[in-house]
Amino acid sequence: MSQVTFTHVSKHFGDSIAVDDMSLQIDDREFMVLLGPSGCGKTTALRMIAGLETVTSGDVVIGNTRVNDIAASDRDIAMVFQSYALYPHMTVRKNIESPLVARRNGRLNSTERARRVADAADVLGLGDYLDRKPGALSGGQRQRVALARAIVRRPEVFLMDEPLSNLDAKLRTQTRLELVELWRRLETTFIYVTHDQVEAMTMGSKIAVMTAGKLQQVGAPQAVYERPANLFVAAFIGSPPMNLLEGVLETTQAASVPGGRVPVANPASVAAGAAVTVGVRPENLHVGGSDVEATVASIELLGHERNVICNVGPARWVVRQGAHDAPLHVGDTIGLGVDPDYVHVFDTASTARVN
Amino acid sequence: MAVVAARSRKAKEALMAYAMLAPLLAVFAVFAYYPFYRLFQFALFQKFSNSDEERFVGFQGIWDNLSSDEFTSGLWTTLKFMLYTVPAGLVLGVLLATAAHRRLKGIKIFQTIFSSTIASSVAVSSVVFLTLINRQSGFFQNVEFLNLERTGSALRGVALSSVWQNIGLTFIIVLAGMQAIPEEINEAATLDGYGPIRRFFRVTVPMISPTLLFLAVVLVVQALQAYAQIELLTLGGPQGSTETLLYKITELQSRTDLQTGASFALGLFVLTLLISVGQFVMLNRRVHYDN
Repeated sequence: MSQVTFTHVSKHFGDSIAVDDMSLQIDDREFMVLLGPSGCGKTTALRMIAGLETVTSGDVVIGNTRVNDIAASDRDIAMVFQSYALYPHMTVRKNIESPLVARRNGRLNSTERARRVADAADVLGLGDYLDRKPGALSGGQRQRVALARAIVRRPEVFLMDEPLSNLDAKLRTQTRLELVELWRRLETTFIYVTHDQVEAMTMGSKIAVMTAGKLQQVGAPQAVYERPANLFVAAFIGSPPMNLLEGVLETTQAASVPGGRVPVANPASVAAGAAVTVGVRPENLHVGGSDVEATVASIELLGHERNVICNVGPARWVVRQGAHDAPLHVGDTIGLGVDPDYVHVFDTASTARVN
Repeated sequence: MAVVAARSRKAKEALMAYAMLAPLLAVFAVFAYYPFYRLFQFALFQKFSNSDEERFVGFQGIWDNLSSDEFTSGLWTTLKFMLYTVPAGLVLGVLLATAAHRRLKGIKIFQTIFSSTIASSVAVSSVVFLTLINRQSGFFQNVEFLNLERTGSALRGVALSSVWQNIGLTFIIVLAGMQAIPEEINEAATLDGYGPIRRFFRVTVPMISPTLLFLAVVLVVQALQAYAQIELLTLGGPQGSTETLLYKITELQSRTDLQTGASFALGLFVLTLLISVGQFVMLNRRVHYDN
């Protein structure tokens, strides 16, 4: 069993609080993505699992063992670093073998070690590079060596700290898929840190959104996308991001906003007259409706579709439009229709979701 | 036309290159090439103090000097001095740097203390050492192992003083080498399961190996050129037991016989060259340079 549990975990660096009272359950064989902007505490949380940071208060449990006081070198975890952290003086073979020779006790014999290294290299397609040094490899190959070094020891938990951020866009997309395949094949727990919500959405079986040291929402990617728990999550997840506009709740099923009125299918749990922020994703808007009036400010052509950027009251909204829809021009005044089933309502003061 | 233009541009570039090299070449010519040429001249001709007459002695004359007991004993002392100072200096520098390479409050104070000898001259540190080792009142007065007044131990005493003198340099350079190792590599090694000692030998030492090679060369050259500490601590004695080659050469220069000293200097030059080349060839195979 390799579940990881945070129970009221905090981490302070002097006066600054990196992780604030975080409680999180990561199940066995989960692909958990810790997602958030830089400085949100996600990497610190990961490093506490690794044992590279001490825990200020609370408990970190791996499997059934509280690991707060267990040294990093004695935890059964492997980590892939953003910089890959390969040993530049060792060949790829020695790099991959390193976790197998590092511990003196319980060390495998050399035949078994060679077999494990060959297996790991095979999984990651590194067979031809075993005798090279990291300096002679491309970024993508180095990243694979780091992964091979992680899988060779068959750890209980894999930790990955932004492992794709040093790759170019194309390789990143490809490696994303490969990592998910690797996770399926290995059937172990992955904990993956990223600031890239696309990575989180595409790879995670669950995502945990963090900001300012605090956990905001945990759930399956689709669930988080469809029902963001607060304004931060709503704005952070989705590309282009969710359109937001402050207004006032008329009834529990409609809000008046500058430039119109937004219908809400899921009734809000606050009383009419409350100050709310309404959120609608670009794909839940259509041109030619009569809910909100907008002025076209700019149009982005993406080939298969268009992003129409318009001014709605004081805000900028993005409307997704098919590539073959009637063309719009900058300056046009248009009416936008809102799909009431997909309207998100947040309490403006507390930022929490209220519908 | 294009060929001519290219040629003239090349000529211009070459001219520019020489112009930029000129100051350095001038300094080298005055302080290195010309003295070296004169050294050869001194070594090839025997001159007598009572007359202006010079006699060509040639390479045979140089060889006669280099095969003398005087030269071989100096050579032996020099090599011993090198063996006493270089490994000890390297190991101590690495140990101190390891101790000081950590994030602790006030560690900068220790780093400053450890590197302080770099700012004190050989003369100062030799005098301090002389006080420490003084047979009547020094802190180490009863340490026979370092007794400067006995032939068996005097060279060790001088060597210890030199190790101490060089420790600041070694410390600073090794510390810089260690600080250049990315923290993530140490963390990766920790997660791989290396304990601190194995991490040191498997990761730290290989990664600072270029630094160690550089220091080994510098310390060897320092050992071969040691003079002031010998002059201040023992004057080459007792009974010539601390007379290194360089010390003998300077002693010989003060007499009228320039030919012997010049021959010895050539011998020392060849020795330095051989050791340095040997070090690079041998160590380069085992040194890792990041590419």
